[in-house]
Amino acid sequence: MEPDIHKFPYYPGCTLKTTARNFEVSALACAKKLGIELVELPRWNCCGTVFSLTDDDLIHHVAAVRNLIRVQEMNRDGMVEENRLVTLCSMCFNTLKRVNLLVKENPENLEKINNFMYLEDDYEGNVEVIHFLELLRELDPGAISQRVERPLTGLRVAPYYGCLMLRPREVGIDDPEEPTIQGAILAAVGAEVIYNSYMKVCCGSYQTVNDKSAVARLVYDILSHAQADGAQAIVTSCPLCAYNLDSRQKEVREIYPDFEQIPVFYFTQLMAVAFGFGADLCGFDPNQLVPEHLLK
Amino acid sequence: MKTEESIMQRIADAAKAVTRGVDAKDIEHWVTIYIMGRAYKVPADLTILTAMEYAGYRFVRGVGCRQGFCGACSTVYRKEGEYKLQTGMACQTRVEDGMYLVQIPFAPAEKAAYDISKESYDASVFLKFYPEVARCVSCNTCTKSCPQDLEVMDYVQAAIRGDFQSLAEGSFDCIQCGLCAMRCPADIVQYNVAQLGRRMYGRYGMPVPKHLITRLQEIEAGKFRGKMDQLVAVPREQLEKLYASRVREAD
Amino acid sequence: MGKKTTGIRYVGGYPEYMRKLISIVHKTRAKRRDYTPPPMTKEEQEEVLKLHPDYAPGGKRTISVGPNKGDIGPTEVVDLVEAYPLVEEGEIDLSKVDYSPDILIIGGGLAGTSAAIWANDSGIPKEKILLTNKLRHGDANSIMAEGGTQAADRSVDSPERHFIDTIGGGHFANKPDVVRALVEDAPLIIRWLLDLGAMFDREENGDFVEKWGGGTSIKRLHSCRDYTGLEEMRVIRDELRSRGIPCIEHFPAIELLTDGENRVTGAVLWNLETGEYKIVKAKATILATGGFGRLHIRGFPTTNHYGATCDGVVIAYRAGARLRDIDTVQYHPTGAAYPIQIVGYLLTEKLRSSGAQPVNKDGEAFVFPLEPRDVEAAALIRECYVRNKGITTPTGLRGVWLDTPLIEEKNGEGYIDKAFPGMRRMFARFDIDMRKDPVLVFPTLHYQNGGIETDPHGKTNVEGLWVAGEVSGGVHGKNRLMGNSTLDCLVFGRRAGISAAEYVKSGRGGGALTLKHVTGYVKDLERAGIRPERRSPILLPDYRGRAALARMIDVF
Repeated sequence: MEPDIHKFPYYPGCTLKTTARNFEVSALACAKKLGIELVELPRWNCCGTVFSLTDDDLIHHVAAVRNLIRVQEMNRDGMVEENRLVTLCSMCFNTLKRVNLLVKENPENLEKINNFMYLEDDYEGNVEVIHFLELLRELDPGAISQRVERPLTGLRVAPYYGCLMLRPREVGIDDPEEPTIQGAILAAVGAEVIYNSYMKVCCGSYQTVNDKSAVARLVYDILSHAQADGAQAIVTSCPLCAYNLDSRQKEVREIYPDFEQIPVFYFTQLMAVAFGFGADLCGFDPNQLVPEHLLK
Repeated sequence: MKTEESIMQRIADAAKAVTRGVDAKDIEHWVTIYIMGRAYKVPADLTILTAMEYAGYRFVRGVGCRQGFCGACSTVYRKEGEYKLQTGMACQTRVEDGMYLVQIPFAPAEKAAYDISKESYDASVFLKFYPEVARCVSCNTCTKSCPQDLEVMDYVQAAIRGDFQSLAEGSFDCIQCGLCAMRCPADIVQYNVAQLGRRMYGRYGMPVPKHLITRLQEIEAGKFRGKMDQLVAVPREQLEKLYASRVREAD
Repeated sequence: MGKKTTGIRYVGGYPEYMRKLISIVHKTRAKRRDYTPPPMTKEEQEEVLKLHPDYAPGGKRTISVGPNKGDIGPTEVVDLVEAYPLVEEGEIDLSKVDYSPDILIIGGGLAGTSAAIWANDSGIPKEKILLTNKLRHGDANSIMAEGGTQAADRSVDSPERHFIDTIGGGHFANKPDVVRALVEDAPLIIRWLLDLGAMFDREENGDFVEKWGGGTSIKRLHSCRDYTGLEEMRVIRDELRSRGIPCIEHFPAIELLTDGENRVTGAVLWNLETGEYKIVKAKATILATGGFGRLHIRGFPTTNHYGATCDGVVIAYRAGARLRDIDTVQYHPTGAAYPIQIVGYLLTEKLRSSGAQPVNKDGEAFVFPLEPRDVEAAALIRECYVRNKGITTPTGLRGVWLDTPLIEEKNGEGYIDKAFPGMRRMFARFDIDMRKDPVLVFPTLHYQNGGIETDPHGKTNVEGLWVAGEVSGGVHGKNRLMGNSTLDCLVFGRRAGISAAEYVKSGRGGGALTLKHVTGYVKDLERAGIRPERRSPILLPDYRGRAALARMIDVF
């Protein structure tokens, strides 16, 4: 029996519409299977990309607040009855949640931003920004494993978290030192979870643009430790981490000739495999390394 | 004078205010506008464009179609007692009392050169030719400055994520006046970004209609050649008959 | 909005007395919804055409000099043809050449711009092409074309059918070989625009949405909302700019140059802002300067852009180019008649082909909505000035209603926003909601049917001179059909561009730069007893207020 559908407002972000389409496609399909309909915000804009730490730089928070207003509008127009905005990309999650926190804690800043956006309804501070992983954690125990049609038995996977969904602590969705939120899902779909201490080391982030070798060294540390602990694949929920961990393996090999490549997936891709979805919904890149037995 | 000729005269007389400019003696209501700071008393029923002409300006720049299509008469104005700058097309905006205005007849904005037949149909095309789109902070100033009331910021956002359809449809009514680009704090050239996106969508976003392909093949194969050879040679009487015997397609 | 400075009370943009008349239109709408008056018979058409400005007596006179000496034309046009030049031989230095392209194109609307692109595609390097514009590149009647472009590309349609519609609409005065070129190239032009990325209105499956045009026997009109010309112009202008084809703006041609022997060899350009002239020496010259709406023939308001002042005809005529059908003028049946700020502006024929009906003061549909334009226009004039069933505006203009709310009754709610955003926006700026209320219309001066006589390749009788678009004569006969003007520009812009390129590549073209033809023409004027009171081309109309003009001192 299919579960009742619960609708959530959903913010995709630019990357999920371009280079990380496979993340979105697999996530939406898995959500649906679990009775969650992610309803894309009408007229969303860029999240703001990086949370601005400058005290008086309010213009860089406008983008995030505008998206939160869209959630208010969806509720007003009856598209959803849910104030929690679901995100997938860790960067979007981090930026939106931090701005939300900032304006909730600083009514004066909120008023200034609202005044600046005089063509919009005022943002009332009632929206909550969450990550899709948090929604999965709330499900009844067993909700995920019940839907598994093709358990990933024998696949050894290392979850990788990076920074943005754990830090700073006030927006983190899990213990910043010992996160388990992704591991729990991987376990529920039958994979063997490989924990290691490098799962929360920075991937190099935007250094990837101007210093590939710095990123390659970090990526080597992260991947080689996971491999040493027996991992056959890495999963993440951040398109930028995924990009660095996956695409910089070429540079890693140039520095460390002995390094062996390892596939990097979004956690939702492995869920999609376990739920028995076809290749279109799993969203594997044809150039991506995929363990043989995963596709069988 | 025959009736028909006098009717023509009556039409011309009624239209004089439009074809030859308004006459002060016909005007009851006046307003004061400030053209680049100087006050002029002008008839209340005019547009900014016709009011400036009434005041004695003969345009060489800042005017084009005069009907809201060409984007040549971009105007920035502020009303007395207000702090906000407003924008409009001089040919489409009525004068109001206490309006301070200046025209922006040229936008020194960048326009990239490309061959759309060689570009990839995804978001990277915008970053390649207009990388500054990524600087958008969603402040919405562009939208507020659009005299066509387009959601300019929304279509720039659509470009960033490679949503060609939303970009193309959202920007379709753009008259490329340049006011958005002149106001953008991130120096984005919204209207040129949109032009690139619409052309990409027009070429790659929709299939070429099958009936068009078929017709082009038929023309190539000479299907209509014989009949056309005959048609261009037939005498007028026969053409008249053919014209009169046309069967109108059902609605 | 809605704040008026006059004492009259306005409701939804209309004064109260007009509002009362609108309620009659609302009342009769249900009755008219499924009723369309039948098309007129040939005899009825002939009768009503007596009220068309072309056929009503007056307003014309005989041309007394030049290749068309003895022909008649509108007084306003003959005045310019029988005028003295802005520069004469010896007054300017022709020895220093500023530009020497292979191909000079004068006028950057759809015709001139497509000519430049096709010349480039035919092997003329971009730096050997020069496109010059009187205003900005694209400020042209082309950009204001609303309705669409005809092309017989549906399986039930055919080029022959397009031919018959066009030649019948033109009262059989069209040049058949030129019409043939128009209709045979039309599908190719649409394909070209698609490849350049033009966004035509489409069905779900990608097929074109094709609409009725007045005077046609079948749905053949390709539209881009009600911004067809804007979209076509934007796309090909962007292509020209991307290619880097040289283009200069605010530089009208004030005279052609010839070798003194019936061959055009260049032009004199004039900087509108500084007054400086430039000399162009070219192997081939393509004239694409558009029409003459801003001459306000017979005192009519116009749909035309600011620069539509007949310049091309004037300078080509002096160089010996023959004119054709210059006596006929197209009045678009539905120009705006209210409010005063937009009088004469175009309300596309597509409104009628989408269901809007002309309705008189008593709420009656009195004419088949899609007669050829001249017949439809004359019928509106008759309703207002003979039958006296028009509506008079506060400024004394008369018009009939165009019942636009019928469009949404027939096509569903939201249709006007989707198909006519430009129209809706224009009226909304004056507080009128055309989805709910009718709008007031009256014929407006729209198009120069004739012009410089062309052959199927855009060639004129003068060597080295090509024409394309509204400046040319022959393809539309004595009345142009809707959707054939943008097509004319694109078909003959292309053909002229290719033909001129072939001419240049074959080593022909070029020669001495002289104004001898102007000297000869001036002598003809003098012989005909014409006094040097008028000078032409006029380049721009003058709408300056009379009070301001009366006190002007000419110092600079």
